[in-house]
Amino acid sequence: MSLISWARRARTPEPVPVVREIAYLEPADLFDSEIKDDPEASPVLCCTGDPAGAAAFNALWLKRFAASGRYAGAVSVRGQGGTPAAEGGVEARAHDLVQAVVTVPRQAVLIGHREGAAWAALAAGRYPASALVLVSPRQFPKQPPKPVGGPPVLLVVAESESQSKEVQAVADAYGVAPLTFAGSPDDVFKGVAAEGLLDAILSWLAGKH
Amino acid sequence: MQEYSSQAAYDRGEAVCVIGAGASGLIAVKNLRENGFEVDCYERDTVLGGLWNPQNQHSPLYSNTHLVTSRSQTEIPDCPMPDDWPDYPSAAQMLTYLTAYAKHFGLPEHIWYGSEISAIEPVEGSRFEVVVKPAAGNAARRLRYAAVIIATGHHWTPNLPSYPGQDQFKGTILHSSQLKDASRLRGKEVLVVGGGNSGVDIACEAAVNAAGCVHSVRRGTWHLPKYLAGEPADYALNRLGARPRFLRRFLADRLLKGPKRLATRMGIDVPEHGPTGEEPVRNGRYLEHVGDGSIRRRGEIARFDGFDVSFADGTEMRPDLVVLATGYRPKITCVAPKLLGIDGDSPFPKLLARMFSPKHETLAIAGLVEPGVGVLPIVHWQTHAIAHWLQVRKGDPDRAANFRHQVVSESAQYAVEPGGTSPRHQLAVDAEEYLASLGRIIDTLEQEPAK
Repeated sequence: MSLISWARRARTPEPVPVVREIAYLEPADLFDSEIKDDPEASPVLCCTGDPAGAAAFNALWLKRFAASGRYAGAVSVRGQGGTPAAEGGVEARAHDLVQAVVTVPRQAVLIGHREGAAWAALAAGRYPASALVLVSPRQFPKQPPKPVGGPPVLLVVAESESQSKEVQAVADAYGVAPLTFAGSPDDVFKGVAAEGLLDAILSWLAGKH
Repeated sequence: MQEYSSQAAYDRGEAVCVIGAGASGLIAVKNLRENGFEVDCYERDTVLGGLWNPQNQHSPLYSNTHLVTSRSQTEIPDCPMPDDWPDYPSAAQMLTYLTAYAKHFGLPEHIWYGSEISAIEPVEGSRFEVVVKPAAGNAARRLRYAAVIIATGHHWTPNLPSYPGQDQFKGTILHSSQLKDASRLRGKEVLVVGGGNSGVDIACEAAVNAAGCVHSVRRGTWHLPKYLAGEPADYALNRLGARPRFLRRFLADRLLKGPKRLATRMGIDVPEHGPTGEEPVRNGRYLEHVGDGSIRRRGEIARFDGFDVSFADGTEMRPDLVVLATGYRPKITCVAPKLLGIDGDSPFPKLLARMFSPKHETLAIAGLVEPGVGVLPIVHWQTHAIAHWLQVRKGDPDRAANFRHQVVSESAQYAVEPGGTSPRHQLAVDAEEYLASLGRIIDTLEQEPAK
C-alpha cells in the first residue's frame, strides 16, 4: 500500500461498522483422521459477489480447503447473507474484507469471486495477503492498487469469458496469464465445474503457499 | 545457540538484528520479513509489547492509560484494529492488538526473549557484531548481522528533575512510571508535576481519587479535547489536509477556537504556533476539573522544604505524594553514541531522516520521533523504507549510493535544533512534512525494482 493511499484513507470517514458473518472450517472440524493441519499452509479467506455471501462456500469450498490442511474462512460483506446492510460502496466492502482477514489466525490468502474479486483486489492493496486469487472478476477497478508485499496473483476465469476485455484488462494489470475452467462463471459453488476449479486453485496454492 | 562462546562470533549471513519487541520492533520484524530478510529480534524482557505490556518489568503504564490518538490514526496501516473498538482504545486493548499482529504475521518465532544487547560493534563489510547477554546466567554470545535496527523506544529512562531540598523532602516522591495503581492516590494531598499527557492524565485521576490535587506546570501547551466537532480530534485535524490549502488555516482556526478560549480562561498560555508543532495535551476532562476546582494549577516548583513545597509564585502546599510526570529521556545504551551521531552529553541522536545512522549505512533506529500523531503508522513507513533500503543496497550498490544523497538532503529539513525548552522538542517532527519526506524516500526506493 502506498503511503499516499494510506494518508488519503486516514482522512476519509471510516465505513459504518457492521457485525460480519464469518463461516470457517478448520481441518480438525472435518473429523477425518487422514486430514492433518498443515502449519506451513496459509489460511484462506473467500468472498463472493453472490448475495448468499459466506454461505455460498459452505457446500464445497470450505471443506475442500480444510481437507488440504488449511484454515478455511468465508466472509459476508455488508448486505450479504447474515451481515446487515450498511452504507458504503466497494471501499466499504474491501474494509469488511480487511477487517475479517486480520481475525484469521495467520497471514491469509484472499480469494474473491465475481464482485468479490474486486473487493479482494482492493483489500490486497491494504493488507499483505500471502496470495491473491481472483475468480471470474467482475466490475473490477480499472487501476487496481499494487498488492502490498508483492503476493503471487492467480486469475481463474471460465472458458466462455477468457477472451473478454475485462479479463484481459485484469490479466494485464497484474501481468499474469489467466487459467480457465469449464462451466459457468456464476455457478462455481458445486458440481463438476466447481471441483475442477478448486483443483486448479489448490494445486496453484500448493506450489506457492 | 549456547555452544557459541563469547570468543567466536557466529555469522548470521544476511540476517538482520532487531533490538526490542515492542510495537516498533514488531513492525520492523514484519516489514523485514516481508522483504525477504531473515530476522533475529532480541527483547530484554520476557514478554512482547514493550511499554504496552504491564507484565514488562519496566513498563511505564499508569492506571487507566488510554491512547491519546484515535484508533483510525494510530492503527498500523496494513493491519487495522477491529472497527468495533472504541475511538480511543485502552492500553490493554493496545496489547491485545499488538499480540494479535505478532501472531497473525508469525513474528513470535523470531523473537529471543530475555536477551539484552550489551554491545554493537561495526566490523568489516559494513556488518555488525552484536553481543547478546541472556538474562539467565549463560555466557554472552557474539553474532554477526548484515544490519541492525534499534527499536528500543524512548519511554524507559525517567527524566527526573531536581529541585532544591528535594532529597530532604519528608513525603513520597514517585515518577509517573512507578504509579501503577490509582489507589495510591486515594485520600492524599497530591502534587502532580509536569504538563504533558501523562501529567494531565494523572492529575485527572487524582482529581477524582485524591483528597486534593495541585498540578505544577512550567509552561503553556495546547490543550485539545479528545473530540472536536463531533469527531476524534486528531482525525478532524488530519481531515483538514484534504481541504484546499487556502481554507485550511481558516478551518483549523475555527476548530481550535473553542479549546483555545477555554484554555485561556483556565489561565493557560496557549503557544502561538498551532497544535501540530509539538505534541499537544489531549484530554477533554482536564480543563473541566480545573474549572470545578478539583485540580488547582500552579507554576514551577521553587523548592522542597521538609514537608512543604514552595512554588515560584510564593504559594506553598504540603503534599503527601508528589508524582513527577516529567517524561522520559531517550537513552540508547547498546551502541556507542558516536555511531548515532551523538557528540557531547546530549542524549539525542542526530540521524538522517530521523532513522538512519549518519556513520553506518546498515544501522537504523525505528520510532525515535514524536510526530504529534499516532506513531505506529510512522514506524510502519520508516521500517518499510529501511527494509527496502537494505534490499536495494544488497542488490544494487550504485543506486544505493545515489539514494544516500537524497536521504542526506531530506534530513537537512530536520536538523536538530538544540536548546528546546523541553526534551520532547528534540524528537518532535511535523507529521505532515515528515510523512511527505518518507513518501519521497520510499518512492525513490521503489522506482525500479532491485536487481
